[in-house]
Amino acid sequence: MIESMHDSPAAVRTLDLHIWEWLLALLAAGLVVFVLPIPKIVALALVFGAALIKAVLVVRNYMHLKAEHPLLYVIALFPVLLFIVMAIALLPDIAWKR
Amino acid sequence: MEAAPAHQVEAALAIDDSIQAIPVGRIAIWWFLASEIMVFGGLIACFVLFRLAHGGWDAEAAHVHWQIGAFNTLVLLTSSYTMAMACTAAKADDAARLRICLLLTVLLGLTFLGVKAHEYSLEAAKGLTPWSGLFWAFYYTLTGLHSVHVLAGIVVNFFLWIAARRSSLWPMIQRRIEYAGLYWHFVDVVWIFLFPLVYLS
Repeated sequence: MIESMHDSPAAVRTLDLHIWEWLLALLAAGLVVFVLPIPKIVALALVFGAALIKAVLVVRNYMHLKAEHPLLYVIALFPVLLFIVMAIALLPDIAWKR
Repeated sequence: MEAAPAHQVEAALAIDDSIQAIPVGRIAIWWFLASEIMVFGGLIACFVLFRLAHGGWDAEAAHVHWQIGAFNTLVLLTSSYTMAMACTAAKADDAARLRICLLLTVLLGLTFLGVKAHEYSLEAAKGLTPWSGLFWAFYYTLTGLHSVHVLAGIVVNFFLWIAARRSSLWPMIQRRIEYAGLYWHFVDVVWIFLFPLVYLS
């Protein structure tokens, strides 16, 4: 991994700490949005947006995907793509068929 | 057939070399995580689709304890940080720091499971079991399957912590810490999506 070859352990530890602080801040932001009296659809969009950012932070930094070979991106992202396509394909039949 | 120019052959070989430079174990763990994405992705997609089809299950969702879920999210995010520190310590040959970070990760994982068990007991006391309706069947399946994954991660980290106490096992530990870390962070990412889906929607 590129990161481990070029960064000192102290620098990596500092980055890990900053990522953790961001994760906690995003968790707190999601909870604040949840308890605020705002339209539910807006609150859901913000809460899931925060969750997506948290997931990207963990995957890119703690799982080191930002410094990995593109092959690992393909392995990781292909099932996510399949899952999204299948969910969208089933949406008209299950969710909207009353 | 005409032979390819030398620079093209060299470029192709360079790409091949960089692929071969990825340790087999790392590719294997990413394949395993990809299969796990399909397992959790399928369940989550079913949950979302059924929820949309059944009017949102707002009455049922009002009974979940979002404060407990938020606390467990805090615990799991912190455990991801301690696991990342353990991986950094392993790369830096810092055995003492590795042992501390691994132990903290195990303890945070156990805290997560303990809090989850307490939450289940609160719901069961109110008569909310997996047989109480579709929402609760999904709730217990999703969170239960995730908890089993947390337990598996705890067991792996615990064995690595024991192995890290022996210097003779150190070369073996360093690579396996990375794989255990990838798994642990994946379990954290799953919870990052489960928490808003189950507790805040």
